[in-house]
Amino acid sequence: LGSTKFDEEETRISRDPGQYQPVTRERATATKLKVELFYKQNVQHALERNQRRNDLENRLASEPRMSEERKNLQRINFGTQESNFLRLRRTRMVAEDFHTIKVIGKGAFGEVRLVQKKDNGKIYAMKTLLKSEMFKKDQLAHVKAERDVLAESDSPWVVNLFYSFQDAIYLYLIMEFLPGGDLMTMLIKYEVFSEDVTRFYMAECVLAIEAVHKLGFIHRDIKPDNILIDINGHIKLSDFGLSTGFHKTHDQAYYQKLLEKAQAPSAPKSDRNSVMVDAIHLTISNRNQVNTWRKSRRVMAYSTVGTPDYIAPEIFIHQGYGQECDWWSLGTIMFECLIGWPPFCAEEAHETYRKIVNWQESLYFPEEIHLSPEAEDLIRRLITSADQRLGRGGAEEIKRHPFFHGVDWNTLRQVDAPFKPQLKSMTDTTYFPTDDLENVPDAPAVAAMRAAQAQGNMQPGPGEETGLPFIGYTYKRFDQLNRQGGI
Amino acid sequence: RPIPGGVARPLFMCKPYINAHLLKGNFKTIVVLPKHVDRGEWIALNTFEFYEYIKLFYNTCREFCEKCPTMSAGPGTDYFWLGTDRKPRPLPAYTYIEYVLTWINNRLTDESVFPTRTPHGVTAGPTQIIASPQGMQGGQTWLGKEAGFPPTFLSNCQAIFKQMFRIFAHIYHTHFVNIVHLSLEAHLNSFFAHFIAFSREFDLLDSRDLDPLRPLIAFDDKGVFQGPKHAS
Ligand SMILES: Nc1ncnc2c1ncn2[C@@H]1O[C@H](COP(=O)(O)OP(=O)(O)OP(=O)(O)O)[C@@H](O)[C@H]1O
Repeated sequence: LGSTKFDEEETRISRDPGQYQPVTRERATATKLKVELFYKQNVQHALERNQRRNDLENRLASEPRMSEERKNLQRINFGTQESNFLRLRRTRMVAEDFHTIKVIGKGAFGEVRLVQKKDNGKIYAMKTLLKSEMFKKDQLAHVKAERDVLAESDSPWVVNLFYSFQDAIYLYLIMEFLPGGDLMTMLIKYEVFSEDVTRFYMAECVLAIEAVHKLGFIHRDIKPDNILIDINGHIKLSDFGLSTGFHKTHDQAYYQKLLEKAQAPSAPKSDRNSVMVDAIHLTISNRNQVNTWRKSRRVMAYSTVGTPDYIAPEIFIHQGYGQECDWWSLGTIMFECLIGWPPFCAEEAHETYRKIVNWQESLYFPEEIHLSPEAEDLIRRLITSADQRLGRGGAEEIKRHPFFHGVDWNTLRQVDAPFKPQLKSMTDTTYFPTDDLENVPDAPAVAAMRAAQAQGNMQPGPGEETGLPFIGYTYKRFDQLNRQGGI
Repeated sequence: RPIPGGVARPLFMCKPYINAHLLKGNFKTIVVLPKHVDRGEWIALNTFEFYEYIKLFYNTCREFCEKCPTMSAGPGTDYFWLGTDRKPRPLPAYTYIEYVLTWINNRLTDESVFPTRTPHGVTAGPTQIIASPQGMQGGQTWLGKEAGFPPTFLSNCQAIFKQMFRIFAHIYHTHFVNIVHLSLEAHLNSFFAHFIAFSREFDLLDSRDLDPLRPLIAFDDKGVFQGPKHAS
């Protein structure tokens, strides 16, 4: 074969993307990312499909007494299943496919609702996120990676994501509904936990965090509102990465501001009449105040600023941090479960920030609250510098701590939980602060979007979809979805 | 109709750009019908995905394409839009492609053309009858029948592929220089080669329609499509 004459001609132009509008360059970057992901997934799908077919054939081969006819039937069923999966990948779900039963959570960029799929009556939790806000700060890569974890993980410790779709304004996540509420709501109800109860939740958190780490990820935003309670009273970690928490806590500019504030010479103390004044001096005899504080904490969870209460100091100050930052968060939550408030709580975020950075001085165990030496020791070994922290060498270190003595790590999820939700129906929202939520105003970005929508000037541009490749529901998801009765 | 000879080689036919590819291999792994899988469903999903991704490439070209006077695909080739009166008329490329994308989108989201809401393996229930009324006419069979696609399924897909090819042709002939400035040529080349490989496998493009990009396809035939089986 002689080479064609095409090969002879060579032309080079010097690339100059700067001559184009920023929007065009952004589109080009997005196109590249999406096309690369498309082919990665395509090849992955092919490999997984082959694997499933091999599994089937191996299974059939190991059944010498099964008739050829029945084997063929199984192959046909397999084909039907695979074809359904292809169909699902082509199905465009829309928000109108779901009927809202109640708003059960609010965030800076959207809300979480209890919904029912109209055609089959199934119950899900639907999280909406305002796309314009998420894309403002270069969230693309993060969102992509973290979404993959969620979809890929088959872990019982992470909330199942079944499906995601988007319209011009929102990203929608359809996940399993966990009827037990979250740990923050539970703490508002019970104020503090006994050491036994705390042991149970902390042990489950250890396994959950370990599961996330094994997937190669750092959660970075573990806090009581992200620890959800399932129908049996066991915990699961709320979706992360897509959550506003991620956004809030990883905004370097935001930290920079905090840093400047904290370093400003004697920042004048706000004398506004706040329930949170002197939060650090709250005592056990002052439970009402603790709860008032907690409620304002909940309102803070709905705001864009978020709470830095559970974040490890190294995330603020250094550029690099590792998985051990999640173990710090665990320590602060454990403190809160036993004492009643997080160790560094303060009236304003920058004050909390200052306390976290100076944790050596500010970590304080109130004398009137009795903790077992094991409990206090574990907290102190978690709330400590990253290079000293228990867990930096793996979750085993924490599991072996005397506080967890007697915990059977292998059967934890099967034992009876200390609080099992008492539910009247599939759609019981007793464990959610739905009344409070009605009074929580929409976050500014959400409110602005609603107003624009109401005026009818929020139509998607023709053909323009700034969407991410959220087409990544995997077969595993699909398979699970099928087993659970499907979408 | 392209003018033979005497014209400058289009940029997309020049080295090094013509050799730029995102993927190595001949696309077989991701193109051939997987065993036991419904043929109609496979074609439908791929049609859907080609549409989604060609839209991305086109969106990237919007800034430049707004100035294109016609839907051209190289010297001598201009595509005309067939109006409701069946009279072909020239349109600016931007408008033409806008129409095409909307038209494809309308088909893809039309439950009677590309059903999504009925699962497979549902034995003839009312929904299936609605999905393909002609399914009731005994004896006949067509591609996609089992999965509930209408008898016109194949011709629908062919019509969509024909229009998608025209978008490729316009991008290659008119906007390839922009694509190079944006470093997208490897992505576009691989996506186009994938598109051609798929349409060959399932007979979705008429050979007569390929003229504007025939040299590029011929080049790929000697290179990409000869490549080792797609691995990794
Ligand atoms: N799958 C679910 N089932 C039941 N309730 C949920 C579920 N997901 C979230 N919620 C409720 O909604 C609240 C807010 O959800 P989430 O924490 O995911 O959103 P956010 O506040 O926007 O993000 P972040 O907490 O990361 O800032 C949770 O605290 C929880 O009470």
